[in-house]
Amino acid sequence: MRIAIDTGGTFTDCVCLENGVLRVAKIFSTPADPAEAVLEGVRQLGAGDDLELRHGATLERRHGATLELRHGTTVGTNTMLERTGARVAFVTTAGFEDTIAIGRQARQKLYDWFAPAPVCLVARELRFGVPERVSAEGELLRAPTEQELAALVEAIRASGAESVAISLLFSFARPQTEQRVEQALRALGIPVSASHKILPEFREYERASTTVVNAYLARRMSHYLERLEERIAERHAKGRVHVMQSSGGIIPASVAAREPVRTVLSGPAGGVVGACRVAQWAGIERIIGFDMGGTSTDVFLARDAASGAERTRESIVAGVPIGVPMLDIHTAGAGGGSLARFDAGGMLRVGPESAGADPGPICFGRGTQATVTDANLLLGRLDAESFLGGGVHLDRERTERLMHEQKGALASVEEFAAGILGVVETQMEKAIRVISVERGHDPRDFTLVAFGGGGPLHACALAAALRIPRVLVPALPGALSAVGILLADTVRDYSRTVMLPGEAIGNLDDALNELMGRGAEEFLAEGAAAVAERSLDLRYRGQGFELNVRFDPRNPARSVEAFHRLHQQRYGIADPARPVEIVNLRVRMSAAGESYHPRPRALTPGDGSAAQYSERPVYFEGGIRPARFFKRDLLVPGDVIQGPAMITEYTAATLVPPGCKAEVDAFGNLAIAVGEGVNP
Amino acid sequence: MSAQRADRTNPANPKSPANPIDLSVFSAAVHSIAEEMGAALRRTALSPNIKERRDYSCAVFDGQGRVIAMGDHMPVHLGSMPMSVEAAIAAIDFAPGDMAILNDPFAGGTHLPDITLVLPVFLAGAARPAFYVANRAHHADVGGRFAGSMGPATSIFEEGIRIPPVLLVRGGEVDRGVLDLILSNVRTPRERKGDLDAQMGACRVGERRVLELAGKCGLEKMYALIEELLDYSERLVRAELRTMPAGEWSAEDWMDSDGVTDEPLRIRARLRVDKDAGPEAGALDVDFAGSSPQVAGSVNAVRAITLSACFYVLRCLLGDDAPATAGILRPLTLHTPQGSIVDARFPAAVAGGNVETSQRIVDVLLRALGAAIPERVPAASAGTMSNLAIGGADPRTGNGSGEAFTYYETTAGGMGARRGLDGISGVQTHMTNSLNTPIEALEYAYPFRVRRYAYRYGSGGEGQFRGGDGLVREIELLADAEMTLLADRRRFRPYGLAGGEDGAAGKTWLTRAESGERIELEGKCSVPLKKGDVLRLETPGGGGWGKAVDSDQ
Repeated sequence: MRIAIDTGGTFTDCVCLENGVLRVAKIFSTPADPAEAVLEGVRQLGAGDDLELRHGATLERRHGATLELRHGTTVGTNTMLERTGARVAFVTTAGFEDTIAIGRQARQKLYDWFAPAPVCLVARELRFGVPERVSAEGELLRAPTEQELAALVEAIRASGAESVAISLLFSFARPQTEQRVEQALRALGIPVSASHKILPEFREYERASTTVVNAYLARRMSHYLERLEERIAERHAKGRVHVMQSSGGIIPASVAAREPVRTVLSGPAGGVVGACRVAQWAGIERIIGFDMGGTSTDVFLARDAASGAERTRESIVAGVPIGVPMLDIHTAGAGGGSLARFDAGGMLRVGPESAGADPGPICFGRGTQATVTDANLLLGRLDAESFLGGGVHLDRERTERLMHEQKGALASVEEFAAGILGVVETQMEKAIRVISVERGHDPRDFTLVAFGGGGPLHACALAAALRIPRVLVPALPGALSAVGILLADTVRDYSRTVMLPGEAIGNLDDALNELMGRGAEEFLAEGAAAVAERSLDLRYRGQGFELNVRFDPRNPARSVEAFHRLHQQRYGIADPARPVEIVNLRVRMSAAGESYHPRPRALTPGDGSAAQYSERPVYFEGGIRPARFFKRDLLVPGDVIQGPAMITEYTAATLVPPGCKAEVDAFGNLAIAVGEGVNP
Repeated sequence: MSAQRADRTNPANPKSPANPIDLSVFSAAVHSIAEEMGAALRRTALSPNIKERRDYSCAVFDGQGRVIAMGDHMPVHLGSMPMSVEAAIAAIDFAPGDMAILNDPFAGGTHLPDITLVLPVFLAGAARPAFYVANRAHHADVGGRFAGSMGPATSIFEEGIRIPPVLLVRGGEVDRGVLDLILSNVRTPRERKGDLDAQMGACRVGERRVLELAGKCGLEKMYALIEELLDYSERLVRAELRTMPAGEWSAEDWMDSDGVTDEPLRIRARLRVDKDAGPEAGALDVDFAGSSPQVAGSVNAVRAITLSACFYVLRCLLGDDAPATAGILRPLTLHTPQGSIVDARFPAAVAGGNVETSQRIVDVLLRALGAAIPERVPAASAGTMSNLAIGGADPRTGNGSGEAFTYYETTAGGMGARRGLDGISGVQTHMTNSLNTPIEALEYAYPFRVRRYAYRYGSGGEGQFRGGDGLVREIELLADAEMTLLADRRRFRPYGLAGGEDGAAGKTWLTRAESGERIELEGKCSVPLKKGDVLRLETPGGGGWGKAVDSDQ
């Protein structure tokens, strides 16, 4: 049996597939010990220990395990954000100890004289040099003596480091020295992360930074996962734990414990995979994901939902660069709790400061400064009774009074509230432009998939501004992340920088086979058969950027042709006469996740009137209009609702502005056609 | 000469107080146009200087050539982009489908490698452009005596091809003659062509988006919002200036030399803050009288650079997210003596004015402000970009015969300390923000071995808050080559503020492989190197802030 559990700030969402039907449990998170809620989820869904009897046979054959727990964890993210990782010692080639702090020598903010020093996870006294050198060609120029290694071990022992990261210059080209250092440091009995294993690619700073993050997280993550595995094993003798990576693929807990840097965005990755799967079932190919939460908003793009969202190898998490593949999630610092204010020039600003959970928006009773949520409430866009099941009292009178005091020169609180929404939606629009227009995609070719507490409320306005013709609000929005984790493929990424001239394209088999061999071994150990996808990072000699193209061992030259074509397509120019360089080899090994296709339900044409429970005034651009309110869980496939309308549910509400039309599709998703010229 | 006071009467301006909401939305929308142009340029450019080091800027202008949005790109382009557009408008009678090109420092440019394209945006049926979009990119070579076009020249003619504002595109068609003329005068024509194509593409992206916005917003309303946006920027600056004490402050600082003679060069500025009541309250008058006359070496800055430095300082006073518009300059009156190193005239060499003198101008402005509001400005930062160029033949390529290579890079130094915060070590400051080249990338690309890349500990000035440390970089040559260094702050150290100590001066050492001899090099020099020689660059530390408290107390 496979159970997916996603730990969130408030709720821990749990899902499993039983006889082709998804079962969902929502449990309050237990931040002090996230495993508590995880175990409770397993208990609720798995009905205790008889699980093994009911489901053992089929899965035992495939996995040799009876319970496969798949986990999206925030332990890595939180450790980064709260800066509560290990005291890391950094070991590099002597003369380069400071490179981990120097970084790329650029400043974060161009016009801020009071910017604090950038983050470095390694204190100066914990940076160590090894007298050694390898050349760009992989030639050993100087190796450390045994005495020098022994001295290094003693120095690190004396430093009180809790974890070590090793990243020597050109270690990917010739890893032997780094392996010797690693071997010697094992004597310390603390976690050792080595760059030739974590990220064997050139560009020393990004490689070292990734390795340091790994070392920083290693202790906490391995402790958390080992404890979780133990506690699972107490009840399920053959239970196994797997973890979601930031790249959207699953890895065994043992790998996650060893390479925790791959899990820093484990939580959000589930939502991305979930959104892609939901779109795929609904027959939608190209999506832009829009997940609006309390303090920030995540957006991402998938050109082909079936093969997942775009990935990047240039992420920055909590101020620290990470070079392992991650889903390309762009975050805007604005959400429901973002605070509104007028600046010295009289312009209305929203965010990035947030009211957070404490004091929260005005309408929750403690906050005193207007937020996006307050603006939505004032404009009739929040339903006080259904908001979080009616569990939170929304104080409209207080909101109106305080916002009146803060509205400045504006004529009415409504204008102030509408302005707050206009400004915040402009920021969201900008974020979506960054991942679409700025990367060469036209938003008009995409469907906006909206989720998170605020996504469905603002989706139609955004879609109209970007001329996105369609919005999809997935069924089960509260469990989207967990569903994504449940259904994700098992994936391992391997890579190595080779830096060869284009002519060497026919001689890559050995190096690629070595990467594939390593992958096959690891998958075999888990009893899974994997498919390998080979690719190359190529560039024109002298360029600073690489393009990734597929590699077909039967026709290697095709990769180079594909590179010229891709360069033409992306950049409008290509030059087949110019020498090409083979920079990195990549192998992505994957084993398909559980296949699940929800059964489409029959469409019954209807107008949803059975689900309508109210009609209330709601503010839209151009004035207040009466809008019908519907309960989403009472709608059935085939119901069509013309805006203006509000469709409410436990964790969110969908606003359907005038000119938009929402239809409940065969899977229970809300598919909204956004009319031309909609002014929400 | 005083800063142009743009004509502020616009028939469309309803003179109503700004609508804070429309303004906020419009400001974001127009800023995202500039950002999108930048993304298009970065995505499509060929040369690493544009793609990786991001040495470019994009901006949107109204029909009068007033800047209404600039991307967060290169600070040194802030004030000089508008002057490019002004120069293009003055020289060319634009028709739809045209695009102008220019790099002439004496007609809207700053130094020759920075090539600017200007596209007029016409609305259907209109006779005059309603908007302009422009972008500028640093090209790795524009001809002249030295590879990379940044060498120790003594006149503009040695620095490369000079392009006055001319049409590169006429009625939608690229003028082959103009393009060929440019490409025939540079060392790497194919790369230049690729980068120019990218710049043209980025202009068209800007044009499309401006038209879209005008269509969505309505022209009348857009004009009104532009006035509001400019007024808003002006209000922000005036409000900021009114928080300063009224009065007059002067400061000066020195450049080591121009690289031709040993004569130090003075830059002097007098700031006057006016806070009389009335709508014009909060005005800034800056006078550079007393600055050295222009010199034979390349450290001459044209006025556009001096204006950029003022723009940069005002923008920093406002905070990181204030929109960069022409309104910011309204409260500023700028006086620059003609024919000085802060307002150089034809035919001065100017390559270093952009990268070196620009930093010193900021240092002087901050020093003057430091007298007025020491708690709000940092002490002097490194004050030099330490431009290093190395050219030669790489024996690893061309089947042993060695293909030519040219390496160019700037190295960061220490940032000045601020009240409450030490300066940041080894970081690009003020007018530049380019990334370093990874050591592993560098050793793949050039016949070098880097032997050390580290903080230069102790180089930051002492103080209650310490100046940031500079960097040390040691490069061993694996082949014979010629190096050119364009650096400053060898004699005149980055000053401390409010009692803080000065940062350490920069140094450059050359250890000859043959003799083992260690020689200290001048800040500005061109030297032949032999295989095995080791070059050691030590960049300056930042100044300290406040008197150091005795540790015994």
